[in-house]
Amino acid sequence: MLGPGVAWYLGVAAFLFGIGALGVLLRRNVLIVLLSLEIMLNGANLALIGFSRHAHNGAGQIFALAVMAVAAAEVCVGLGLVVAIHRRNLDLDVDKLSELRG
Amino acid sequence: MITTVLIWLPIAAALVVWILPLSRYATGSLAVLVSLAEVGIWIEQAARFDFARSGLQFEQRGSWISDLHVSYHVGVYGFSLWLVGLTVVCMAAAISYGFWVGRDRSRAYFGLMLFLSGTIVGVFTAQDLLLFYAFFEGMLIPLYILLGVWGGAGRLGATVKLLIYTMAGSLLMLAALVAYGLHAGTFDLVDGPTSISRWIFLGFMFAFAIKAPFFPFHGWLPDSYREAPPEVTAILSGVIAKAGTYGMLRIAITKFPEPTSYYRTLILALAATALIYGSILAFRSPDFRGVVAYSSMAQSGLIGLGLFSGVGLGLDGAVLQMVAHGLVSTALFLLAGTIERRTTTGLFALLGGMAKGRPALATLLMTVGIISLAVPGSATFAGEFLILAGAFQRAWWWAAIGCAAIVLAAMYMLRLISGVLHEARGSTVDDAALDLRAGELALIVPLVAGLVFLSAWPAGISHHSFAGDQPVQAVQGQFK
Amino acid sequence: MIAGAWLCLLAPLAGFLLITLLGTRISRVAAAWISTGSVVTAFGGAVWSFAELWADGGERTHLSTAWTWLQAGNFKPGLEVLVDPLSTMMMLVVSGVGALIVLYSVGYMHGDDEERRYFAYMALFVFSMLLLVQGGNLLLLIVGWGLVGLSSYLLIGFWHERPTAVAAAKKAFIMNAFGDATMVLAFFVLIAHSGSLAFGTSFDTATTLSPTAVNLVALGLLGGAAAKSAQIPLHTWLPDAMEGPTPVSALIHAATMVTAGVYLIARTHPIFEQARTVELVAAGAGALTLLVAGFVALVQVDIKRVIAYSTMSQIGYMFLGAGVGAYANGMFHLMTHAFFKALLFLGAGVAIHALGGEQDIRKMRGVGALMPWTKWAFLVGSLALVGIPPFSGFFSKDSIIAAAMTIGWYGWFLWAAALVGAFLTGLYTFRLYFVVFRGEPSPFVREHHHAHHGKEGPWTMMVPVVVLAVLAVIGGWLQFAPIWTPLTSWLEPVARTLPVAEPTSWQEGISSALAVGLGVAGIVVAWLVYGTGRIAVPRVAALQRLFEHKFYFDELYDAIFYKPAVATSLVSHRELEEPVLLAAGPDIGETAFDTGRGVRRLQTGLLRTYVFFLGTGMAVLAIVFLLTK
Repeated sequence: MLGPGVAWYLGVAAFLFGIGALGVLLRRNVLIVLLSLEIMLNGANLALIGFSRHAHNGAGQIFALAVMAVAAAEVCVGLGLVVAIHRRNLDLDVDKLSELRG
Repeated sequence: MITTVLIWLPIAAALVVWILPLSRYATGSLAVLVSLAEVGIWIEQAARFDFARSGLQFEQRGSWISDLHVSYHVGVYGFSLWLVGLTVVCMAAAISYGFWVGRDRSRAYFGLMLFLSGTIVGVFTAQDLLLFYAFFEGMLIPLYILLGVWGGAGRLGATVKLLIYTMAGSLLMLAALVAYGLHAGTFDLVDGPTSISRWIFLGFMFAFAIKAPFFPFHGWLPDSYREAPPEVTAILSGVIAKAGTYGMLRIAITKFPEPTSYYRTLILALAATALIYGSILAFRSPDFRGVVAYSSMAQSGLIGLGLFSGVGLGLDGAVLQMVAHGLVSTALFLLAGTIERRTTTGLFALLGGMAKGRPALATLLMTVGIISLAVPGSATFAGEFLILAGAFQRAWWWAAIGCAAIVLAAMYMLRLISGVLHEARGSTVDDAALDLRAGELALIVPLVAGLVFLSAWPAGISHHSFAGDQPVQAVQGQFK
Repeated sequence: MIAGAWLCLLAPLAGFLLITLLGTRISRVAAAWISTGSVVTAFGGAVWSFAELWADGGERTHLSTAWTWLQAGNFKPGLEVLVDPLSTMMMLVVSGVGALIVLYSVGYMHGDDEERRYFAYMALFVFSMLLLVQGGNLLLLIVGWGLVGLSSYLLIGFWHERPTAVAAAKKAFIMNAFGDATMVLAFFVLIAHSGSLAFGTSFDTATTLSPTAVNLVALGLLGGAAAKSAQIPLHTWLPDAMEGPTPVSALIHAATMVTAGVYLIARTHPIFEQARTVELVAAGAGALTLLVAGFVALVQVDIKRVIAYSTMSQIGYMFLGAGVGAYANGMFHLMTHAFFKALLFLGAGVAIHALGGEQDIRKMRGVGALMPWTKWAFLVGSLALVGIPPFSGFFSKDSIIAAAMTIGWYGWFLWAAALVGAFLTGLYTFRLYFVVFRGEPSPFVREHHHAHHGKEGPWTMMVPVVVLAVLAVIGGWLQFAPIWTPLTSWLEPVARTLPVAEPTSWQEGISSALAVGLGVAGIVVAWLVYGTGRIAVPRVAALQRLFEHKFYFDELYDAIFYKPAVATSLVSHRELEEPVLLAAGPDIGETAFDTGRGVRRLQTGLLRTYVFFLGTGMAVLAIVFLLTK
């Protein structure tokens, strides 16, 4: 097999996932949170493809394509929410958007 | 067939009343007529009942949820026949009272009373556990609404308390009966086996102890009894409380003989405590309804003493006392209602001297009062005597405690009678307050006449409750 | 004789029901006469029954059952009526004296607003008392027992606007309920052993019981007897019961109801004989009561209270007689006492009625001068009470006192007490007579006395007084122990006097002489102090207080029973009921609310919290999965 071992792919994927997770948890701007979410998804995709290549099973790559499609859809919905919030002149701050509480 | 009619006729009438936009007078008349028809049908059933034969009579069986072995199985035994009779007679008196007094939103009211009537009869005749549970719960729905809508000033708090307590008991009972049914493979009471499970027994007992009510599960009692309309309290105390003790007899004692003897001493102690505690609190209750409410709790304890004594005398006495006290309680609360209508209060501090110029009220209250305190010669005395004689054979101290309650009963009941009828005229008693009128007499006098007849012949019930008058054998044979 | 017995029992019941159901549709006078007629019919039935039993000569016990009253398994007491020597004797006394007193009431209660209620209650009482004495088994006896207590409550509290009357009625009923409770416990023991409460079976069972059991049974019966007959320690209700109208005091609290205890002991004597100690305790209680009551009667100023304490004292004699085993003597005194005590009450009633309701003897001084018939009747009754021959009390009381001598060392104490009691009886009775009926009329009497159309009282009141006076004289001539004893022979099949309680003629003679002597001495002292005033009334402050407070029994019972009961009730309500039991439901609801409020704080509304929990949860699950795999 050519190229670096599965571990390197997984390492990069974990790194990407970690950055994305930290971004979701620590950033306040809604757009940045969505962006971080995308990075997490890409990390997961990379892990899928890495495993697929390692196991010589095409299913992982096909699933990664499905994930991309779903991610695109989800981004549309998320950006739509952001636009709606912005139109109401609300702060795009995740800590301030907390009316759905108990 | 008769049993099914007894259950569903009032429920059908309730539906008619709710659907058809009849006038208040027509609704009330229909309700009274149906309740009197129920009494007539029950008399027919009693006349045709064969007291020498053991086993279920007037039985009817149909499939309901066959996957779970749940069937529509109804029928009567000797003791349940008397309790059904108590129900229809007291409901007739209560509905007539509601008609006489005139309740607003009459279609809702009479519909609910009729529905209540049918479900209570269902409780006493159901022979399938899930059916029993359905009727047991169904009994409570109209009760909540009647208390919450037509009750007194503190009715919402009372309803909430009633709801919490009875729901807690019912949920425990549901768990117990599901466990029993799944384990036994059937929910039928006649076919089902006995069980040695103490948890299932306790689940049932909690529900019945809350309904009866036994000390210390009586927290719902004073408020509900005080806030409900008088005829609803009459039913609560006279009939629904007996549903609790009936459940103890039919389900808890019969189906769980080993747990019954394991917990016997504890339950007898609780029953004796209820008897003394209720009597002591009744002794100093400041109002009419409070005295009768706590007295009801004491009587439930007495009936419990009889049921759990495990002796034939005790069981016969318990059934007799259930009927006798049911009638007494109904009559007392209806009288309380008539007094409250004239004086707007039940507090002894504001009442007094009502006997002067009101002979009918004085005579009836005195008669019912002395029967309530179990003056020797009354049906309640006969029941109490049998229960305590039975309890004595279990252990002498139960009877001794019961005898202390005899003295306490005299104390609180005489205080009630004097507080209302004697001494100086109370501040709320007007000269113009009338004696009992024909309508009120028409619904109280039959109850009193029934009590007097029962006092002349208590053997009518005590000897005819269990096949061959062998209660212990009947219970051990599961009434087959 | 069975028909006579049923007629006797049911006639007053019919009278009661008729008056109650007809209510205001009949006039008050009609109600009065219905009641009187029913009791007279009862007397007729009693005479019929008695005559047939006497003529019968054969079987002495006849039971007739109407229907089975109560039945549970093998326990089946029926509604049965018993005709035997003891029950016919009681039937005659109850219905006879009852008829006279109800007739008297027609005059006494005339004009009262609630006359119908009064006469209904009187008929109910006579029925109840007859049920008590005619009951063919112990259960019916206690039914009659309880109904008699009920009638007493209704009649003591007849004038129910008076708080004192209502309180007295409640007190009487509750003390009697206590006695009922002890009797019922005794019955439970019998049922547990034999499953029946028929007289014969119960008496046979008593012989097979263990000593503890039979003593408990006898104690239970004694408790009921003591409560009903107002013996120490259950006696405090009787003086208060004088709140009722005077005929009620005469009938219920002198002649009949209070004697029920003596009847009970005589009826159930086989049980008591198995528990001889308890029987002797009964005799002792009687002796104690006759002394205490005698002392307290010395300081009473209400004419009816003096007679009430006198009743208590005389019943003490009856208990003494029955307790030592001389049942016939006790029953004989019951009969003569009914005559002269009713006479005393009715005579007092004529005076009270003429003075418009005044009962204080200090105000009633000298009323005898205006009412000669009443004065002579009262004198006859007083002499009979003290036991002066040839009046009736002499024959009956002396035979009891003599019987006490023979039972052993304990008997000597009883005998001594009975003799002291004879002296006290003379003293307090004639204190009453001399104060009220002799001497010049007081100013109060002159002002308030009103004759009844020129006579002392209406004929309905005077005729019974005269009849009772005659009976008080000749009633004792029925038996002169130990020479001529028809009554003892009559009661022999049912209540045979214990051999140990039969004194010899010598003992009888000495005892009688002493008793009569002491009685006369009491009269003489009363004459000196109250009649002529030659000796001043002795004043010993401590004793005066003790007697006036009736030996502090009322205060004692108030402290031991009533106040603790009230306190327990209020404390239970305040400390246990309100905070714990009633609040339990809402408290559970509150707890549910609080838990929910606590859990709600997890819902912060912040996105990052939710994501954090999501992530952590996933991580935990993944680790767990990996570990368990």
